[in-house]
Amino acid sequence: MDAISVDNLRKTYDNKKYAVDDISFSVKSGEIYGLLGKNGAGKSTTIKILSTLIKKTSGNVKVLGLDINNSMDIRKRIGVVQQDLSFDLTSVERNFKIYGLLWNVKKELLKSRMEELMELFDLNKVRKNNIMDLSGGQKKRVQVAREFLHDMDLLFLDEPTVGMDPIVRRKLLDYIKMRAKNGLTVLFTTHIMEEADYLCDRIGIINSGKMIIEGNSSYLKENFGGYKTLKLDLNKDIDDLTKNELISMNVNLKNENNKLLITAKNIDNIIPEIIKTVEKHGYNIIKLNMDQSSLEDVFFEVVN
Amino acid sequence: MKLPDSLRLTIRNFKVNSDPGTIMFMLGLPTLYLLVLGFMYQSLIPAVTFNNVNVSYTDFLMPGIMAMEVMTAGTVGGSMLWSDRRFFMFEQLLVGPFNRLSYLFGLILVSLIFSIIGNAIMLAIFYLFVGKLVFTGVGLIYSILTLFVGTIIFTSIYLIISIKTKKMQTYNTITIVLFFVVDFTSSAFYPITAKTPYSLRLISYANPLTYITNITRNALVFSSLSGVLSEFLVLTIATVIVFGIALKLYDGVKPGM
Repeated sequence: MDAISVDNLRKTYDNKKYAVDDISFSVKSGEIYGLLGKNGAGKSTTIKILSTLIKKTSGNVKVLGLDINNSMDIRKRIGVVQQDLSFDLTSVERNFKIYGLLWNVKKELLKSRMEELMELFDLNKVRKNNIMDLSGGQKKRVQVAREFLHDMDLLFLDEPTVGMDPIVRRKLLDYIKMRAKNGLTVLFTTHIMEEADYLCDRIGIINSGKMIIEGNSSYLKENFGGYKTLKLDLNKDIDDLTKNELISMNVNLKNENNKLLITAKNIDNIIPEIIKTVEKHGYNIIKLNMDQSSLEDVFFEVVN
Repeated sequence: MKLPDSLRLTIRNFKVNSDPGTIMFMLGLPTLYLLVLGFMYQSLIPAVTFNNVNVSYTDFLMPGIMAMEVMTAGTVGGSMLWSDRRFFMFEQLLVGPFNRLSYLFGLILVSLIFSIIGNAIMLAIFYLFVGKLVFTGVGLIYSILTLFVGTIIFTSIYLIISIKTKKMQTYNTITIVLFFVVDFTSSAFYPITAKTPYSLRLISYANPLTYITNITRNALVFSSLSGVLSEFLVLTIATVIVFGIALKLYDGVKPGM
């Protein structure tokens, strides 16, 4: 069953330009879906619509099987970590307790979850501190941790790791993975591609309000990775004749101390030809490896 | 047991606002006015007469202080909306299990609670240090209704300011200036009589605090209900209008922008 189903969604704030322009995608129950895009691409607007904060201009949207107009029924079953820091101007512990009260979490359950999350997000040392005395990263940790106090079927995370140190960030990503294994559906946005690669089952890249590509990480890298680099360790330095012959294959060449770096689009198709050319000129290949495209390469390729 | 949405929001608003700063503002300033201003002016103004009844200046001042409490309680609701918008809790609550109406009720209810508690404490201080008020049952009902309606009109006024101002500095400046202007142009500290300059009388009678003070003063201090009903009606009509404006503006507050 789809936890989120979006068909031809559009949103305009001024009736002139679409912040979200005819996007369609779906997220299965228990799936972690990453939404990537530049600043202003339409990620946050999409999340705001899906979390019932703002109204769509047109299109069909279903969340947890409910039409998006059933906002109250949806809100009771979702969690949202907004991009902007949100908190009550009181201590960390009180923020947790108040949030638990707002979500009607039973006292005993709230206490145990609070302790678990304080530990997980490394907040024990600052639990009595006023939220205004915390660093930006600590505030973000409070905001994210607080959301896990209540039960939910679907969680929206809009750039949740901003300002977090790598250790807490990894802990959070692993915790999200664990929760997803137990059935939680997650819609996640980030600017850190490694995070999306590590966490998401599927990724959609949007630009100027439009969905450009969608798929799992391997699929995206394989099909939209753009330039890849072939590294060859040779027995001796390469001569100009061989260089020119390689360059004629439309590749970029870098030569450094018997090491040859050949970068090209769709390089997989010309690897046999490259090897043949190198060996034809009397060079022995000692070592060969290829840099895989990263999700960042994909992002640059499709967004630029 | 599941508490209703508005009640959970009210408890949250109460907890967030029960910090020393707010409590000081709610109780410290009125206590200072009542005890220091009251006793100091008593040597200058030995008695105030109304309907052939003589009362001490501190007795005269007490309803004014209660009206001030009402106005101060109104700032809690307005400031809460301001703070929630500034720190994105407004958006956060509206993607939680709440709708806009329950959020608004939460603001009004917390102002009412602060008004009730503030007035109860001020009455206790008054009884402890000054004396006691003699009032009738009808007078008490009028006073309670007036404090209720008064809290709503001031909550609405502060909600309007909170919605219309963009900068925190602007909000703070407006609320502080308004606080003093409303205080000192009302009848809280002195009677507005035929001898009062016309322009000041005009300002005073355009000021809701004057009506709240007059009604509670007549009902609680002078035990006179003459003119109370008409003043109560004026206050109620004004409250309905101001609350309507606040509601309309609140409806236009766009979250997530």
